[in-house]
Amino acid sequence: MMAIRELKVCLLGDTGVGKSSIVCRFVQDHFDHNISPTIGASFMTKTVPCGNELHKFLIWDTAGQERFHSLAPMYYRGSAAAVIVYDITKQDSFYTLKKWVKELKEHGPENIVMAIAGNKCDLSDIREVPLKDAKEYAESIGAIVVETSAKNAINIEELFQGISRQIPPLDPHENGNNGIIKVEKPTTQASRRCC
Amino acid sequence: MEGAGENAPESSSSAPGSEESARDPQVPPPEEESGDCARSLEAVPKKLCGYLSKFGGKGPIRGWKSRWFFYDERKCQLYYSRTAQDANPLDSIDLSSAVFDCKADAEEGIFEIKTPSRVITLKAATKQAMLYWLQQLQMKRWEFHNSPPAPPATPDAALAGNGPVLHLELGQEEAELEEFLCPVKTPPGLVGVTAALQPFPALQNISLKHLGTEIQNTMHNIRGNKQAQGTGHEPPGEDSPQSGEPQREGQPSASDASTPGREPEDSPKPAPKSSLTINFAQKAKRQNNTFPFFSEGITRNRTAQEKVAALEQQVLMLTKELKSQKELVKILHKALEAAQQEKRASSAYLAAAEDKDRLELVRHKVRQIAELGRRVEALEQERESLAHTASLREQQVQELQQHVQLLMDKNHAKQQVICKLSEKVTQDFRHPPDQSPLRPDAANRDFLSQQEKIEHLKDDMEAYRTQNRFLNSEIHQVTKIWRKVAEKEKALLTKCAYLQARNCQVESKYLAGLRRLQEALGDEASECSELLRQLVQEALQWEAGEASSDSMELSPISEYDEYGFLTVPDYEVEDLKLLAKIQALEVRSHHLLGLEAVDRPLRERWAALGDLVPSAELKQLLRAGVPREHRPRVWKWLVHLRVQHLHTPGCYQELLSRGQAREHPAARQIELDLNRTFPNNKHFTCATSSFPDKLRRVLLAFSWQNPTIGYCQGLNRLAAIALLVLEEEESAFWCLVAIVETIMPADYYCNTLTASQVDQRVLQDLLSEKLPRLMAHLGQHHVDLSLVTFNWFLVVFADSLISNILLRVWDAFLYEGTKVVFRYALAIFKYNEKEILRLQNGLEIYQYLRFFTKTISNSRKLMNIAFNDMNPFRMKQLRQLRMVHRERLEAELRELEQLKAEYLERRASRRRAVSEGCASEDEVEGEA
Ligand SMILES: Nc1nc2c(ncn2[C@@H]2O[C@H](COP(=O)(O)OP(=O)(O)O)[C@@H](O)[C@H]2O)c(=O)[nH]1
Ligand SMILES: [Mg+2]
Repeated sequence: MMAIRELKVCLLGDTGVGKSSIVCRFVQDHFDHNISPTIGASFMTKTVPCGNELHKFLIWDTAGQERFHSLAPMYYRGSAAAVIVYDITKQDSFYTLKKWVKELKEHGPENIVMAIAGNKCDLSDIREVPLKDAKEYAESIGAIVVETSAKNAINIEELFQGISRQIPPLDPHENGNNGIIKVEKPTTQASRRCC
Repeated sequence: MEGAGENAPESSSSAPGSEESARDPQVPPPEEESGDCARSLEAVPKKLCGYLSKFGGKGPIRGWKSRWFFYDERKCQLYYSRTAQDANPLDSIDLSSAVFDCKADAEEGIFEIKTPSRVITLKAATKQAMLYWLQQLQMKRWEFHNSPPAPPATPDAALAGNGPVLHLELGQEEAELEEFLCPVKTPPGLVGVTAALQPFPALQNISLKHLGTEIQNTMHNIRGNKQAQGTGHEPPGEDSPQSGEPQREGQPSASDASTPGREPEDSPKPAPKSSLTINFAQKAKRQNNTFPFFSEGITRNRTAQEKVAALEQQVLMLTKELKSQKELVKILHKALEAAQQEKRASSAYLAAAEDKDRLELVRHKVRQIAELGRRVEALEQERESLAHTASLREQQVQELQQHVQLLMDKNHAKQQVICKLSEKVTQDFRHPPDQSPLRPDAANRDFLSQQEKIEHLKDDMEAYRTQNRFLNSEIHQVTKIWRKVAEKEKALLTKCAYLQARNCQVESKYLAGLRRLQEALGDEASECSELLRQLVQEALQWEAGEASSDSMELSPISEYDEYGFLTVPDYEVEDLKLLAKIQALEVRSHHLLGLEAVDRPLRERWAALGDLVPSAELKQLLRAGVPREHRPRVWKWLVHLRVQHLHTPGCYQELLSRGQAREHPAARQIELDLNRTFPNNKHFTCATSSFPDKLRRVLLAFSWQNPTIGYCQGLNRLAAIALLVLEEEESAFWCLVAIVETIMPADYYCNTLTASQVDQRVLQDLLSEKLPRLMAHLGQHHVDLSLVTFNWFLVVFADSLISNILLRVWDAFLYEGTKVVFRYALAIFKYNEKEILRLQNGLEIYQYLRFFTKTISNSRKLMNIAFNDMNPFRMKQLRQLRMVHRERLEAELRELEQLKAEYLERRASRRRAVSEGCASEDEVEGEA
């Protein structure tokens, strides 16, 4: 029997960049032009196989508007990974991304995996953010980066597969209660440092 | 077919046919046992039956046909056959849905039966018979409708115990009928069983449309006769004509072929003379009787005399002319004589005279001749002119004759007048004059014609009166029936709603059961789970099937609710679909059950409520929820109570124009959220809807009204709910102002959302107090409720509760404030406490919390928990908790800031230590 690991993932990024759409595409393989803007947070799960493990993603989608940032610690607290999304057609959203990275570095869980998603790559003809910039930046902070399109289902699976690969494999000694290991606990303790 | 033979000659010889023969009262009723049909009729004593003429047929064979009509109480059908003795009716008329009509201007005795499918025109022998028929038919129809329905199928009895009792007051209203039409006496001999024994027409009435039945009937009758003959029951007198009959009718094809030709003969039926025409004729006769006595002799004498005189005159004239002609003849005679003399003289001359003298003489004579010739001409002319004058005279004579004729006519007329007057005088002598003697002749004539007219009008009036009375009774009857049917329908609808509700409940329980099973089985891929999957699939598909096939559904789950929200939430994940369905069924069953028991009395209370005044009663009413039709008014009033002090006329317009002049920084975000507001509501997703535009204006105006808040995600939901209820954008704007600026604490929507976060902590405290078991359970599984509840508070449940519960929450919220939000937040957890306690995994709990607000379907239960079970709930406590948590939160924030600063400090120092060459991205960020 394969071990199931529950991985808390939160999505961060400017409002309207397509966070909810990415989650929707990943979990339901569905795209809706008018997804209701998230307030507070919305929560979804999806299980994907990774090596000899099953990764169950618990995805917390957050509100994008600036003033909701104060709520963000609630969401990234205990997260194994954070997907930070920008819109390749909006330079502003790339700046916001950098702010999020900074906040995560300052207050987030210590070993949090960061994945950068340049969304709306189907609109590359009105692109404002060059892929090169994103790649350079990601490299500088040790994050994975992909350009995605929730609309056309480009690189969405790959994004989460990339995260899966970055999650360190289980320490077999810690394998306790019937194969289900919560990564939540240790990271929560790690984050207690700041909140 | 007995009895047909003796009447056959009569009916075939006379065109009027059946009608007359049926009317004939002299026909003695034969013994009852004469035929098997008569025997069967005897068994039902009060049977409505009789002969009527039915108008029917097509094209040339259109016309009246005598038919035997009889009524079947059990089926409310009026059957008809060709004769009373026929075994199989030709056709039937369904009286249960028929209306009856008689027309005053139609022939006497004609009336109509109108069913939804056809109109049957019938004719009774007399008006009385017609009225009898109409009344009986009405009665029968009423009896049918009033009679208790047929005993229902057995399952009904089982349900009757639980369902609302169907109580139909089937009042007896027979007496009312008499207001319109006093009961018509049974016309003797025309209707009823005895009428069956009336002679009836033979084959020419055969129905072509129902030829099959006809043949059957004929055969049946033949058989019947044979049997009767065999047993020898019939009196011998009736037997005799039969012998010839069967042979004739034994060949239906022959009669069939002959009928179309014969049919038209009896179709034009002479109308029975109305009393009116008879009156007329009689009067005319009376007048004529007195007339010739005076006038005719006189007239004849007069004209002879005149003629003689004229002729005499003519004779005179002609004799005159004759005289003149005679004179002319005389003159000519003289001339002739002279000529003869001349001739004699000339012969003498020839004899005697010499040449010279002769010549002289000849010349002389020639002159004389010429002279005479001229004279002849002149005379001729004279004659012509005389002839001309003669013809002129003749013309004159003719003219005069015409004149004479004219005078004679006048004279004649005058004589007539004199005659009439003298007649009148004699009459007047007999009956003393009772009217003004002025211009007696003219007045008399007027009087007579007017009397006729009056007679005529009286007739009409009588006819119309009968018709009116009948129609009134018909209207009355039909209304009664309609009312009864409506009552029945209502009762059935209630019952239906109840049954539907039960069905929904059962179905939802079944689905819930399926779900439990599914959960219990887990991921084991056994046969059972496969079966389960199949069952679930089926259950999910029911709805679609029902909706399409069952067009008669009484209160279907419509796709959208009253306020335009999707009734079945569009969950994408498969197992949630089942839940969504369960929830929709639950909501519906609660709705159906609440309709009568709860909504009605509430509605009545709201309707009785006059002006809105703050009071304890109003508070209770608002907690129970405002009926939809009162909600806009009530909300407007509630909003006004709160924003009175902020409200200045034209304020909204001014804010709007400010927005037009300059773009607010929030405008971009507003625009972004506009199309994402309530994607589950048709008013916001429909491309042609005006709601998104209204929403934009309301939000923009608000961003100017309150620049510190500007726009906060979530305000779009608040404004949208306000718009959905109030519809008018200015009202919605003030509603938004009321919520944000007067109900919610300050800083609820501002930059840090501090107050909102404080409320989450307050809620946790309250939950620990009210639902300690639940909180312990959640703590055990590391579930942070504020992730879920934050949204509830920020948008006052707009994303969470189904619309009919949501709006009830808002009804109370607008009046009582944030306390209501806490009460409901607590109640929602309480409502689902057991379910949450059942879940033994943080993830499962989160997953459950994601949608569990939408599964709440019983608004009354939720309301009771919120306002009763959560007591005591004091504002003072709330204020205190808020204060405590605010301080704590602010302290935490300060600490966080400090940590941040320290961290930056540390990094800065670390970086300083690192070589200066590699400038990291972090510095760029810091500037951004
Ligand atoms: N063209 C395009 N539009 C997208 C894509 N992903 C999201 N959107 C649109 O961007 C808008 C914002 O998406 P949403 O997921 O609500 O953004 P969020 O605020 O980050 O959650 C919506 O109108 C989406 O339809 C994408 O990959 N391509
Ligand atoms: Mg979103």
